[in-house]
Amino acid sequence: MTLMRQYLRAVFNARKLLIYTFLLCFALAIYLPFLMIVLRSIGKEWFGKLWLPPKLTLDWYRWAVEVTNIVDISKNTLIIAGLAVIMSTLVGIPTGWAFGRRRIPGKELLMSMILLPRMIPPIAYALGVAQIFYRLHLINTHFGVALSHVAVCAPYAILVLSATFEGLDERVLEAAAVCGANPLRTFFHVIVPLILPGILSSMIFTFTTSYNEFTLTLLTYGKDTVTLPVRTYLAIGEGYWEVTSAMSVILVIPSLIVLFLIQKQVAPEKLVGGFKGV
Amino acid sequence: MKRGAKARPVLITLLMLLPGWAIFFGLFFYPMMITVVRSLRPEGEQVGWTLEHYVRFLSEPRARGVIVLTFVLSIASTLCSIAFSLVLCLVLRRKPRGHRFFRLTMLVPRVVPGLIGALGLLLLLGSRGWVNLFLLQFPFIREPVQINYTIPGLILFYTWLYFPFTAVTTLSTLESLDPAIEEAADVAGANRWQVLRHVIVPLIMPGILAGSILTFMAAFGAFSIPLIAGGNYRPLAVEIYRQIDFTPARWSAASARAMIMALLQVIFLTIYMRILRRPAR
Repeated sequence: MTLMRQYLRAVFNARKLLIYTFLLCFALAIYLPFLMIVLRSIGKEWFGKLWLPPKLTLDWYRWAVEVTNIVDISKNTLIIAGLAVIMSTLVGIPTGWAFGRRRIPGKELLMSMILLPRMIPPIAYALGVAQIFYRLHLINTHFGVALSHVAVCAPYAILVLSATFEGLDERVLEAAAVCGANPLRTFFHVIVPLILPGILSSMIFTFTTSYNEFTLTLLTYGKDTVTLPVRTYLAIGEGYWEVTSAMSVILVIPSLIVLFLIQKQVAPEKLVGGFKGV
Repeated sequence: MKRGAKARPVLITLLMLLPGWAIFFGLFFYPMMITVVRSLRPEGEQVGWTLEHYVRFLSEPRARGVIVLTFVLSIASTLCSIAFSLVLCLVLRRKPRGHRFFRLTMLVPRVVPGLIGALGLLLLLGSRGWVNLFLLQFPFIREPVQINYTIPGLILFYTWLYFPFTAVTTLSTLESLDPAIEEAADVAGANRWQVLRHVIVPLIMPGILAGSILTFMAAFGAFSIPLIAGGNYRPLAVEIYRQIDFTPARWSAASARAMIMALLQVIFLTIYMRILRRPAR
């Protein structure tokens, strides 16, 4: 009997060991690349078969600031992402409301059309967007780059916000009316607090999308609107891996903040889009 | 009067839908049309119709290689993502200690800009990276293994970047599964493997497939990763960009390739949906 129990425990522990080894490998696979970037960005004279850089330095960060003008580039990126978030939210609120609260014939079809920009490879319509923007002189303006981002951000906003409006309970609104609130009061004291989380999560997702957007930026940027992803790409092309790493460390910080917010606030499923019905 | 009262809400609905439609037509449909028209025009001209860009690209012997490469990369990375996500989600479903941390870890490749992930992987898997330093500890490996800029390497990159789509949907389907079904199979005398093979997997298949579509679409349209990590291998997206990368930019040639790419994706997705809609065994 004891033998049996010992055997079972051994099997159980082996399983557990296997599971944790697997999870450890998974975590390593995800985080080691970032560790390599950090090490590369602070390492000096790191040649040959060495596991760790022999000397530490912050020179590469100074280079990143001085040579690649990272302050301006960060400013560009944030302005563009901010504009894209504002525009997508402004588009998303009315459209999301109509999708969520109104009976629209052929709603499914309309929704899948709205989501189409996320299904077709962005480079296909980025070519067209670039040609239109050249004609309208929107290339190399913050507004232009942000507007091109809206093409991929707005579907997200509409999707998240229509789900939010759909979740709004009719009975709560009725209760407010019964309690004597006028429509204005209902709006500010009932509806806004109820949809605020939805708007926030839509803003977080559109921000991430715009912040990481590369294809559309590459086709619409100019020398005054270089964003961090584009600059990273250019730096990789130039071959300064250390400076690129330093820039990447700076570039990754907002993403980590967003990840933190997501973990605090919103369901992660939404991040990969609500294509579950596809 | 009655008609007017009925028409107003409809009008409001339409007005509210307007911004969404404006964005759809202005930033997607119209550019798409421009791409279509551009691909049918002679290079650099505003008039005339021609199919030469399609014909020229498709008759190049390299073209088949480019298309096959795009499909190989995206299908292989989708399959890898499915296999990996399945194992990961089955493990995470048991809620092992620290599962919240691993759930968050799963999202990291989606939140961080793809270029940075690719840069980190290039550093990690390079000839001086930790993976090769580790492999060199083994006596039978003498030379650093070349992983970057090879096809298996690219598949690895794609999988790393795009598996979260599959993993997140798989996990949420798995968690909405009724535990009673499993228990029933258990009571009926099925062993662990049989339960997995004949009960769990068929039940969560729709979720896996829906997620894997997202992975496939992302991998098919992947642009930044092959651009910096592809080396000599150029999938369609990079091939398109190469046409307008230099002056004089060849917009028509690029547009023709983009149309071929969009068409291939739509065809493949249609087939995929067919498979998906088929009732499970």
